[in-house]
Amino acid sequence: MKIDCAFLVRVLSGFIRQELGKAGFQKGLLGLSGGLDSSVCAALAAKALGPKNVLGLILPYGDSFPQDVKDATSLARRLGIRSRLLDIAPMVDSYFRMIPSQDRTLRGNKMARERMSILYDFSAREKALILGTSNKTELLIGYGTLHGDMACAVNPLGDLFKTQVRRLAEHLRLPENIRKKKPTAGLWPGQTDEGEIGLSYEELDEILYRLVDLRQTKAEVAAQGFERKKVERIIGLIKNSEFKRQMPPIAKISSRTIGHDFLYPYDWGK
Amino acid sequence: MIIALAQISPVLGDVDKNVRLHLEIIDKARKEKAGLVVFPELSLTGYNLRDLAAEVAFLPKKDKHFRELLSISRAVDLVFGFVEEDQGGLIYNTAAYLSRGRPLHLHRKVYLPTFGMFDEARFFAPGKDVLTFDSPLGRTGLMICREFLHLSAGYLLQAGGAGMVIVISAAPGRGASQGRGFDTSRMWELMGEALSFFSSAFVIYCNRAGFEDGMAFAGGSFVFSPTGRLLARAAYAEKDFLLVEVDPEQVRRARRRWPWVRDDKPEVILQALQKILGGHED
Repeated sequence: MKIDCAFLVRVLSGFIRQELGKAGFQKGLLGLSGGLDSSVCAALAAKALGPKNVLGLILPYGDSFPQDVKDATSLARRLGIRSRLLDIAPMVDSYFRMIPSQDRTLRGNKMARERMSILYDFSAREKALILGTSNKTELLIGYGTLHGDMACAVNPLGDLFKTQVRRLAEHLRLPENIRKKKPTAGLWPGQTDEGEIGLSYEELDEILYRLVDLRQTKAEVAAQGFERKKVERIIGLIKNSEFKRQMPPIAKISSRTIGHDFLYPYDWGK
Repeated sequence: MIIALAQISPVLGDVDKNVRLHLEIIDKARKEKAGLVVFPELSLTGYNLRDLAAEVAFLPKKDKHFRELLSISRAVDLVFGFVEEDQGGLIYNTAAYLSRGRPLHLHRKVYLPTFGMFDEARFFAPGKDVLTFDSPLGRTGLMICREFLHLSAGYLLQAGGAGMVIVISAAPGRGASQGRGFDTSRMWELMGEALSFFSSAFVIYCNRAGFEDGMAFAGGSFVFSPTGRLLARAAYAEKDFLLVEVDPEQVRRARRRWPWVRDDKPEVILQALQKILGGHED
């Protein structure tokens, strides 16, 4: 779980610069929520590409999270990156006027996908690639909206647990109110990740690290003092979200099929 | 002799571009009076080729790029990596040593990592030999990446009399807890120190840099002397170019001081291996 932040900043900013460069892009963009992950990603991108080559889109739903909008705006200013504020309420509301729902998750997912749709539109307008901000913790337990906040061109944070991202934020000297903020997916006011998942990130990361990185069994993890029920629940979350981490299976008919035996690298020719 | 280690980041699957990159580095090395330029594993093609491996493969004798590098080797020795096709159509992860316009040695990777993030045996046929050869640096052996971490491969080069061990590598880094490059760089340095000291040979390890499909290559190329001393090391996890002066005479001196190689007993090893392998068949 230990990370050397200075080395990681060098590797991850190199990753952003080289991946974009190989694809022929100098600019990156990302959604700025005012939370930890997108703030760290923006700081890395500013180092990698130069602040003027980074665009942060602040995409609130109405004024449901005014503090986050303030934090995102002031972070953009602090990093010297470009930013733009766009309220997604008109698009989302017009959809739900046609097809009403009060289901919080359903509405939240729609908002996440509305933001994705705007990011991709700006990606083409600005000739900039989208930087993903999903961390290893949420990717492993599937705590993200498929084709919503999980959608991106490259993801520099996907192999760092939430608590490691927090350490990176300290190293990058991000403002304390962003670092200390209760993590939230922002699907509805009052929602917190830890409340919804039912575990603190510290505990969740310790368990995930043992299960995934150290390849320990359920029994081995439980023997180290972690509640067996929690370990089992986490294993269930990992299993049930595998579909979010892979391309959908293609029914194999021919002798050479995408994903089965048509196997080319992502960085083909780059 | 001055040896140049080219810690480059090749373009994945584009041999033309990579040949040009090689030529640039060779020019630079020649200006520094290098007698040998060492490139990383699969330096002409990039590493994570998958199905591209078969498409970038060539028969050395017939390939224009290979012939171009052969002709350059009249002026400076070259070690590089490529995908070699044989007459029967099999493809190998191969290292070449070219000198004075001739291919002195081609080594086909025997140990193909196929676990976790590695999938080499799916795309490459395994080589069958770990042999030494004479080069301007004396008796020399080539290894490719993972082979270096097998005691057996290093031992075979020692038994073959190598005083110069050249390892070309495309080793991705894992673990970032220590602050001196990736954690996995330690294991390469550990083996470099051990093999150079206990076989009284130079160990020249050339790794690559850059990213492929999210994998970060760890860099950290190095040279150990025949007494196990670190002579030079390149930057971790970024491109670099290293020049090291190497005196083959040091191999003789080291072997007089510590007669590991003289006192080794390959015939006992052979008999013991036959017993061990025979025992498994029972």
